[in-house]
Amino acid sequence: MTATLTPGTTTPPRPSQPRTADRAERRRHWLSRLDVKASPYAYVAPFFILFGLVGLFPLIYTFVVSLYDWDLLKGQGDFVGIANFMSVLQDEYFWNSLFNTLSIFILSSIPQLIAATFIAAILDQNIRAKTFWRMSVLLPYVVTPAAVALIFSNMFSEDYGLINNMLQNFGLDAIGWKTDTFASHIAIATMVNWRWTGYNALILLAAMQSVPRDVHESAALDGAGALRRFFSITLPSIRPTMVFVIITATIGGLQIFVEPRMFDASTAGGAQRQFQTTVLYLWEMAFFRQNFGEASAIAWLLFLIIICFGLINFMLSRTIATAETKVTSTRRQKRLARLRSARSTPATTRSTEDAQ
Amino acid sequence: MLATGCSAGSGSAASGDEDITLTITTFGTFGYDDLYKEYEELHPNVTIKPTNIDTGGNARTDAFTKLAAGSGLSDIVAIEEGWLGAIMEVSDRFVDLNDFGAQDIKDRWLDWKFEQGTDADGRVIGYGTDIGPTGLCYNGKLFEEAGLPSDRAEVAELFGGADASWDTYFELGAEYTEKTGKAWYDHSGFVWNSMVNQMDEGYYTSDGELNIEGNSEMRDRFDQLAEATLNGQSAAQTAWDWGGGKAFVDGSFATFVCPGWMLGTIKGQLEAGGGDASTGWDFADVFPGGPVNWGGAFLSIPTTSKHQEAAAELTAWLTAPEQQVKQSKAAGNFPSTIEAAETIAEESAPNELFNDAPTGAILAERAKGVKAQFKGPDDSVIQENVFGPALNLLDQQEATADEAWQQAMDLLQDLVIDN
Repeated sequence: MTATLTPGTTTPPRPSQPRTADRAERRRHWLSRLDVKASPYAYVAPFFILFGLVGLFPLIYTFVVSLYDWDLLKGQGDFVGIANFMSVLQDEYFWNSLFNTLSIFILSSIPQLIAATFIAAILDQNIRAKTFWRMSVLLPYVVTPAAVALIFSNMFSEDYGLINNMLQNFGLDAIGWKTDTFASHIAIATMVNWRWTGYNALILLAAMQSVPRDVHESAALDGAGALRRFFSITLPSIRPTMVFVIITATIGGLQIFVEPRMFDASTAGGAQRQFQTTVLYLWEMAFFRQNFGEASAIAWLLFLIIICFGLINFMLSRTIATAETKVTSTRRQKRLARLRSARSTPATTRSTEDAQ
Repeated sequence: MLATGCSAGSGSAASGDEDITLTITTFGTFGYDDLYKEYEELHPNVTIKPTNIDTGGNARTDAFTKLAAGSGLSDIVAIEEGWLGAIMEVSDRFVDLNDFGAQDIKDRWLDWKFEQGTDADGRVIGYGTDIGPTGLCYNGKLFEEAGLPSDRAEVAELFGGADASWDTYFELGAEYTEKTGKAWYDHSGFVWNSMVNQMDEGYYTSDGELNIEGNSEMRDRFDQLAEATLNGQSAAQTAWDWGGGKAFVDGSFATFVCPGWMLGTIKGQLEAGGGDASTGWDFADVFPGGPVNWGGAFLSIPTTSKHQEAAAELTAWLTAPEQQVKQSKAAGNFPSTIEAAETIAEESAPNELFNDAPTGAILAERAKGVKAQFKGPDDSVIQENVFGPALNLLDQQEATADEAWQQAMDLLQDLVIDN
C-alpha cells in the first residue's frame, strides 16, 4: 500500500535518463497500481469461482430445467415456459407441504431460540467445569441427523414407541405420532430442537462473552437484579448475533428434509402427507413421479420463499434497531431543546411548560 | 463352475489378465457375499466392490438419481421388477447383453423371466436373479391358540389347497379375529399387492394402457379387502419396519404373504425383534387365489461401465444355476433358472427358522403356473403413492371402502394421469 504514495513524487521524467530505465520505472509504477487495484479481487476470487460452480450454476440450471417438460430419466422435453410454476401453484400438495414446513418451523425455531438464549445465559455465568458444560450442549449437534431421526422415530413409534408405552402405563391414550398432523409436527420439531438448540446456544454464548463485564458490574452496583440485567443489557447487546441465528434458523427450518424423511421411511412424509415438508415434496416429485421440470419449479419457488423470509427478518430487525436509535435521538433532542430554551427565555417557556 | 463362468463370455478370454475392479449395487437381502469371494478366487485379477442398499425403494432412488445425472452407476446394478417398467423406457442406457452371449445362455431361465429383461427392440438389458413365487407364512403357535390346525399340510388344506380363495382366507380371518381379538394380517398394503399381482393384467393392460378406473374385478377385490380390514383383520403395521421387527414376535398378526425373498426379510425382522425359530413362524404350500409372482430382480450393466465385458461375465456367472442355488440358500429367495429351481426342489432342505419347513421345495411348488404380469412405467408409484395412502386410511379405520377407493382415484388423477 505505501508504495503507491511515493511514486508520484519520485518519477518526474528526465530527458537525460535512458528510455529503458524510464520504461522500467513506469512498469513498476503500473505493476504496483495493478497490485493495489486487482489483488483484493484475486484474493476473494476463489470463493466466487467456487460459488459460481456449485452455487450459481445449479441455481440457473435448475431454472432452465423448470421451464421444460423434463422427465427424470428420459431427460429434456418440450419448452413449456411457466407452465410448471403454474401447476405447482395450483397443486394442493404443494400448499400442504408449505403449511407443514411452516408449522414445523414455528414449532421448532421459537422454543429452540428461547431455550438456546437461556442456556447461553446460564453458561455465561461463572460456573464450575465450564468447558464440560459447553462441550455437552454441542454434543447433539455432532450426531448425524439420520441417526437422530432413527432414534426418535423409534421413540415416537405408535405401537412400540417408548413415549406411547409410557403414556399407556399412566393410563393415557396413545398418541398418533405418525398419523396425526399436529402430533407428527411436534415429534419432528423435537428432533430438530434436540439437534440445534445447543449449537445456537454456543453461538449466542460467544456473543454474550463479548459484552463488557463492567457494564454488568455497574448495573449491579446500581441495584439491577440478574433478570433485569439479562433483559436490559445482555439481550440488546447480542442483537446482531440474534439476527444471524434467527436467519440461519429460518433457512434451515424451511429446508427441513432428513428428519421427516427418516421419521417414516416407507412413505414420503406420512401416508396422508401429514408431515410432508416442501423439500420432501420436491423429492417425491423428482424421484417418484420423475417430473424433474416441476420439481425444479418447486425448488425455485422454495428459493424465492426463503429469500422473502430472509428479507422480512432483515427488515424487522432493522426497524427494531432504527426504532431504538430514533427513540434515543428524539429523547436527546427534546432534552437539548429544553436546555436551550431554558437558557434563552427562562421565564416564559418555563411557565408555559408548567401550565401544560 | 468355472466352465459356466467362461461360457458366459462372448467366446474371447473376456477380461484377460489386467487388474480390474468391478462395482456392484444390490439391495435388501441378496445373499451374494460368499459368491463375490468365490469369484475373486477364480479370477485373481478381479476385485469386486459391492454396495448393498437397505430397501428396494432406496435402491430405486439411488439408481434413478444416477441415471438422471448420467454418471455414478456401478458396473452392475440390481433392478427390481416393480421399477423395471420405468427402466425399460430408457433401456438404451443399458448394455445389450446379446453382445455378450445372452442368446447362448437364454435357456437357463424361465421364458417369461428372460422376456421381462428384454426390451421392445429385443435388446436384453438384464439377467434375472430370483423370482417371487408366493406362499403363505403363518404363525403355528397363534393358530393353535385359536384352535386352528398348525401342521403345514393341514393348514394348506384348511385354506383350500389348490382351490384356495380370498373368500376362504378372509372368512378364516374373521373367525380368528373374533376368537382372539387379534389381527389376521400385518397391513392391507401387502395383501393388496398380492391380489393385484395375481390378476392377468394389473395396473396396466398388456399393451401398456392404465387399467384401474372402471376395472370391476379390481374394485371387487378392493372392496373385499376393505371389508376385512375395517372388521379389524389388519394390524395396521408400518411396512418394512414392523416396530423394529417386534410385530413378528409379539403375535400382532397370524398370517403374512410370503414371496420367496420375503423369507429373508422375515429372518432379518425376527433377528431385530428378538425372535427365533421358537416364535412359531411356518410356511405353507398354499396361497389364496392361486399362483402369484411378486417381485424378483435383474442384474444390468449400464453403458457407463468401463468394464462391460468383465461385468457381463460376472453377471452371467452370478445368475448361473449353480450360483443361484447358493444365493437361494444364503438369502432364502427363489431362483429364476429352471435348473436351480429343480435342484432346490429336490434337495428340499429344511429351513430351521420356519419350523423346518422345506421352504425351497414349497416355493418350487408355488412357482408352478406363475407368470409375471406386465409392469408399466408408473407401477411402483401406483402401488405406493396411489393405493398406499388409501389402504392406510382403511388400516386406520378412517374411511369407508368407497371413500378409500375414491381417494385412490383422486391420487391416480393427480399423480399419474395429470403428471
